[in-house]
Amino acid sequence: MFFHIVLERNMQLHPRHFGRDLRDKLVSKLMKDVEGTCSGRHGFIVAITGIENVGKGLIRDGTGFVTFPVKYQCVVFRPFKGEIVEAVVTMVNKMGFFAEAGPVQIFVSNHLIPDDMEFQSGDVPNYTTSDGSVKIQKESEVRLKIIGTRVDATEIFCIGTIKDDFLGVISDPGANP
Amino acid sequence: MSGEEEENAAELKIPDEFLKAKCLMNCEVALILEHKYEQLQQMADDPMNQMSQVFEKSLQYVKRFSRYQNPDAVRQVREYPSVIYAPYDALRTWEPLSRNSGRSDSYGSIHQDQIIDVISAIVSFALQTRGRAHDDEAIEKMLNDLSLIKKFE
Repeated sequence: MFFHIVLERNMQLHPRHFGRDLRDKLVSKLMKDVEGTCSGRHGFIVAITGIENVGKGLIRDGTGFVTFPVKYQCVVFRPFKGEIVEAVVTMVNKMGFFAEAGPVQIFVSNHLIPDDMEFQSGDVPNYTTSDGSVKIQKESEVRLKIIGTRVDATEIFCIGTIKDDFLGVISDPGANP
Repeated sequence: MSGEEEENAAELKIPDEFLKAKCLMNCEVALILEHKYEQLQQMADDPMNQMSQVFEKSLQYVKRFSRYQNPDAVRQVREYPSVIYAPYDALRTWEPLSRNSGRSDSYGSIHQDQIIDVISAIVSFALQTRGRAHDDEAIEKMLNDLSLIKKFE
């Protein structure tokens, strides 16, 4: 889910940046450092939308660097266990399929795919119902429920299921509109 | 990591800072990210270089799964809860009439018994609807209103 939250960060700036554009340099350094990163607590920081407050700078002992506490508003994407999300299928194999919901990757194991869907290998591997009415393949849009999340150094990875009510394929790229 | 075992969005068991934060719809995020993308395009020659993969993937995702395309429709949907609850807010801030209050002059023509009847009718209506704010009929109405916004987007 996307949230709009306020975060705080201590930014260190080299004295060569001091001057008229100090604030601009601070903001662009913040954007470069923070946008696109991921933490277990806040999720993916997608974009910074504004700077709320820049505190007084503190000169570090021994070096000329100055630390500024910066409060900023940003859009984050944080998946939660139990959340229902829409995702796009990126890869299908006999163990299950991978899907992406924004920056986060979700794996749905074949154990968590309805029993009436079978894996079909071939040029376009897919899961299909016995009557062929529903198909999950690359680029299909699916609604799934996140049942677990794991945080790496740089990204969050989720496990999902489509075995509950109202979950499964939303749209099939191969179907006629 | 140990705290994550307790998390469950289905039961709204999520960290406090997210419960209090503003949750964004995909269409709202699309508006924000598109605006940022345009800013980047104006500022730099090569916006693709400046965009992180997270930004790019998020932008593609929200554009694809936006329910409402029109910014006006997005605003209407965001403001919808305040429209629903406006009558309740009005009721809460309503000041009861009292015989000795300065306003009694303007209500001089209304009989006191009538005033009591009006007050009790309003209070019983409020009590009735307070607990049932989310009963089936109300939910049905909300769904219809939201689908109308989508229809006339």
